[in-house]
Amino acid sequence: MAAKKLRRAQLSQEMCERLSRYQITTCQDFLCLSLLELMKVTGQSYYEVQKLLCKVSRACAPKMQTAYEMKLKKSVNLSSAFLSTTLHSLDRVLHGGVPCGSLTEITSPPGCGKTQFCIMLSVLATLPVSMGGLDGAVIYIDTESAFSAERLIEIAANRFPTYFDSDEKLLCMTRSIHLYRELTCCCVLKRIMSLEEEIISKKVKLIIIDSVASVVRKEFDTKLQGNLAERSNFLTRGASVLKYLAEEFSIPV
Amino acid sequence: MQREVGTLPLAPALRARLAAAGFQTAQELLDTGPCGLSKEIGISREEALEALQVVRQECHGDAARTAGGSGATRKCTALELLEEEQTQGFIITFCSALDNILGGGVQLTKITEICGAPGVGKTQLCMQLAVDVQIPECFGGVAGEAVFIDTEGSFMVDRVVDIAAACVQHCHLIAEVQQEEDHQKALETFSLENILSHIYYFRCRDYTELLAQVYLLPEFLSEHSKVRLVVIDGIAFPFRHDFEDLSLRTRLLNGLAQQLIIIANDQKAAVVLTNQMTTRIGQSQSTLVPALGESWGHAATVRLIFHWDNSQRLATLYKSPSQKESTIAYHITSHGFRDVQPPAVTHSAEGTELNPRKRPRTEEEKQ
Repeated sequence: MAAKKLRRAQLSQEMCERLSRYQITTCQDFLCLSLLELMKVTGQSYYEVQKLLCKVSRACAPKMQTAYEMKLKKSVNLSSAFLSTTLHSLDRVLHGGVPCGSLTEITSPPGCGKTQFCIMLSVLATLPVSMGGLDGAVIYIDTESAFSAERLIEIAANRFPTYFDSDEKLLCMTRSIHLYRELTCCCVLKRIMSLEEEIISKKVKLIIIDSVASVVRKEFDTKLQGNLAERSNFLTRGASVLKYLAEEFSIPV
Repeated sequence: MQREVGTLPLAPALRARLAAAGFQTAQELLDTGPCGLSKEIGISREEALEALQVVRQECHGDAARTAGGSGATRKCTALELLEEEQTQGFIITFCSALDNILGGGVQLTKITEICGAPGVGKTQLCMQLAVDVQIPECFGGVAGEAVFIDTEGSFMVDRVVDIAAACVQHCHLIAEVQQEEDHQKALETFSLENILSHIYYFRCRDYTELLAQVYLLPEFLSEHSKVRLVVIDGIAFPFRHDFEDLSLRTRLLNGLAQQLIIIANDQKAAVVLTNQMTTRIGQSQSTLVPALGESWGHAATVRLIFHWDNSQRLATLYKSPSQKESTIAYHITSHGFRDVQPPAVTHSAEGTELNPRKRPRTEEEKQ
């Protein structure tokens, strides 16, 4: 939205040309300037500039919803609001399960079972909706190389023996879990940025990143100057992209 | 401003004198000022002042006609302000301790900033306020609507449903106890669907969308004149990453603060912002301070800092023009923001009423 070109914000052609001479081509550049600068750059009066601001703002402002509309939308899609973890007490505490459309973070000391939990969630996501799953593919970004496909099959076969009764079904499930091994921060970030197209093409219903902390701690030593800022930069950028993906596609991350 | 002196609605004698003194345009008159004018033409200072006021009115009338709007400066006496402030409504938070330290609740026409570590309850308070602003006037509320601008995506509709249901139930209980007619009438409109449909939600993904939305907000508010609360949940989030140019960030934030102050005053609405905490690394230790820097600290009128103390949530009033600094504890229950229940056994005078056993024992001891 921010990178929207001014041309598409319905500004006149000559105004766009004039602004591009000052290297103002996107809505972001336009809105970052103060009123006086805008008056100087566009050569218009105060009131004209106000009107232009409104036009550009309208081009990139978000749409309004009332809370009531949001509630109605949610109650229509009741089944797809949560991914049940099949652990009843956990589901109760979480009000239904892992929520779709927002980020959930799992933290613990090593060895508690985070990766196992993630593997189980991947199996659950591939199940059909009638069994409490999301009937879709899974994107698994692994930074610790801890994902074991054999363990995946073991969990699937033992947990849902009636469903995964044939080898074919198991193979079908494994085919819908896409594993990416990324070992550095910028690879992880690049992978997150490229996820949007993959989600649409592969009909992904769950994104798992295991784990964010390990790759960040490996690369950024907080005792060095400037690394703290870079690290939080990387984290917040990744977080905002993931939030956008979760909300846009209504999937759990 | 370039009007000829001859066209101004002044007395003919005065006009003749001005022409004789060589004044040609209204601008020259205004530049001279009343004292200079009285000396040059030979009229008293009061007459000169009157004449200048007439001239100014004429010129402003012209300017307003050509420009289509006037930015009249507002001035009023402190007495008028006092009367206004006394009739000012507050938005209650359902936590009486917090309302007390704020002086009645979140004040209208002021910017309140809530800072805190993640998970301490900032968004919960914002959702509580978005419901509380709609409480009808007969129950002590301001009967307004709310605008919720979300940058972090932490607005959960189900939670707002819970909070609103608890609030409606609370009002029903009050109405049953007091049995007044306008309470019943107000309750008819104070229903769950109405509350939810009067919360206007905007989801801004980055700072450009936030800036754009704040530019469009005055227009939106003039269409929805009943809005009494604007919440921006997470003003720090879009400004904390991807910003190499810190001076640009400061400038944008200050511009944003100015616009919000104007909106708060014009619309008589309360503006509530939530901020994150950042670590300031000192010589030997690091402290948690509100994010976005020192200059942003001047933007908000009232600053609340939420923090943890073991497992108790505390709220500290950090900056306020009229209340003193104090800390209180609060709870977040399934109904929303609430007080901490006072402990059952107290050793004060009221405590002896709660524990009648204590008094006979001390009497026995005395005996």
